[in-house]
Amino acid sequence: MTTQEIDLKVRGILSKKLNVELDKIGGESRLAEDLGVDSFGAVELMFEIEEAFGLKIPDSDIEHVRSVKDIVGYLDGWLNRPAEALPPK
Amino acid sequence: MGVAACNGVGVQDFWRANVEGRSGISLIDAFDTTDLASKVGGQVRGFVPTHYIPDDIAKRVDRFVHFGLACTEMALKESGLRPEAEDTDRVAVVMGSGLGGLMFHEEQMVAAFDRGAHRINPASVARISPNAVASQIAIRYGFRGPNMVISTACASGAHAIGEAFRKVQYGETDICLTGGVEAPLTQFNFGAYCALRVLSKNNANPTGASRPFDLGRDGFVMSEGGAVLILEERERALRRGAAVLAEISGYASNSGAHHMVMPESEGADAARVMAAALRDARLDRVDYINAHATSTRANDAAETKAIKAVFGAEARKIPVSSTKSMIGHAIGAAGAIEAVVCVKALQDQVVPPTINLNIPDPACDLDYVPRESRQIKLEHVMSNSFGFGNCNVALIFSKP
Repeated sequence: MTTQEIDLKVRGILSKKLNVELDKIGGESRLAEDLGVDSFGAVELMFEIEEAFGLKIPDSDIEHVRSVKDIVGYLDGWLNRPAEALPPK
Repeated sequence: MGVAACNGVGVQDFWRANVEGRSGISLIDAFDTTDLASKVGGQVRGFVPTHYIPDDIAKRVDRFVHFGLACTEMALKESGLRPEAEDTDRVAVVMGSGLGGLMFHEEQMVAAFDRGAHRINPASVARISPNAVASQIAIRYGFRGPNMVISTACASGAHAIGEAFRKVQYGETDICLTGGVEAPLTQFNFGAYCALRVLSKNNANPTGASRPFDLGRDGFVMSEGGAVLILEERERALRRGAAVLAEISGYASNSGAHHMVMPESEGADAARVMAAALRDARLDRVDYINAHATSTRANDAAETKAIKAVFGAEARKIPVSSTKSMIGHAIGAAGAIEAVVCVKALQDQVVPPTINLNIPDPACDLDYVPRESRQIKLEHVMSNSFGFGNCNVALIFSKP
């Protein structure tokens, strides 16, 4: 999945969840300050993203996520990681 | 008042259906009933939550809360009560629910077992909690007074109204929104009641399945729905210019201390609670009884004995009817939906019928208003609710 595809999918989830038009959500949009996501909302949002992308984000990583760009960057880094970073089977 | 029942959503449609004796029972399609002996239930088919609440709230709550929020919206509209014009510290919410957010609960249980505990939705706690309904009503309208949910199975809604009545009567609060809600038509829950063998298996004739007091009754029909009423001290309501629909004049509750699912066969506990409500209202008789009347063999016979024990020779002269004959048994919502029936009966001076009563059980020998509603002079009416675990409630409503 390309970075653009990840970005579109993430913004689609946010748009649906927050009832905000897609083009109002930019990469720089901050979850709390700009999109009004409270801490409970953030937990729910991360769950939905985990469901949509089929991965489990450790709590320690969620703490660093502040903006849409952070989410996309994190997912991009994980989904498009080099093959040698894959855990041994 | 606001109401959502399987034979009508909104007070007007619901009441018309009751007066006309229309059943709302059908074959269940909310979930797969293939493996179940009972396949009939009362689904509220015409109900669209987003007609009453914004989409983003509707998405975040269980169906039992949909009923609560929708009925609250209807009740506020009818009453002319404007939350922003009230001292909201003095507005309480006391609701009843026997089962809470079952739908979401079951969905999440399946996800957890199928896919692992890390796949449990973080919204589960907030959606499943039985008190979510009272909290969501408070959050939506800013009601900051006492807030609680009473859970006494099939008596929950009636219990909530009784306790809300006391809060207003004792001056603990100026206004109390109260009622009951239930969304019990889920695979596990319905299956559990099926396993208990208390549900009607009259799948061939859904609208005839709930037949209280009839010789052919074979269990109750489970249904969903809700009702919300606004209680307020009379003079205060009149000053506000509100239409006072009815007065609550008596309330009592007790326990049979007998069995988790069986009523005491002689109806002694039911008789005690009815007598206590009469004492509370300082009355010795009522003009109509909206019976608990579930259509189970045990309840209807015991309730009949109880009515005879309380009213003696007068018992045969008091019309008794069963709302559940038309809408089945909405568990924690039943007592609240039936309270709406009592209020409308007083307003219109009409007693709705017990439908499907064709061959009366010899053990049930009172005037059950069979099949046709009846115009009659009504001053005081009683509503009975008896919950599993022998939680009994009697309420008395009077003309204002």
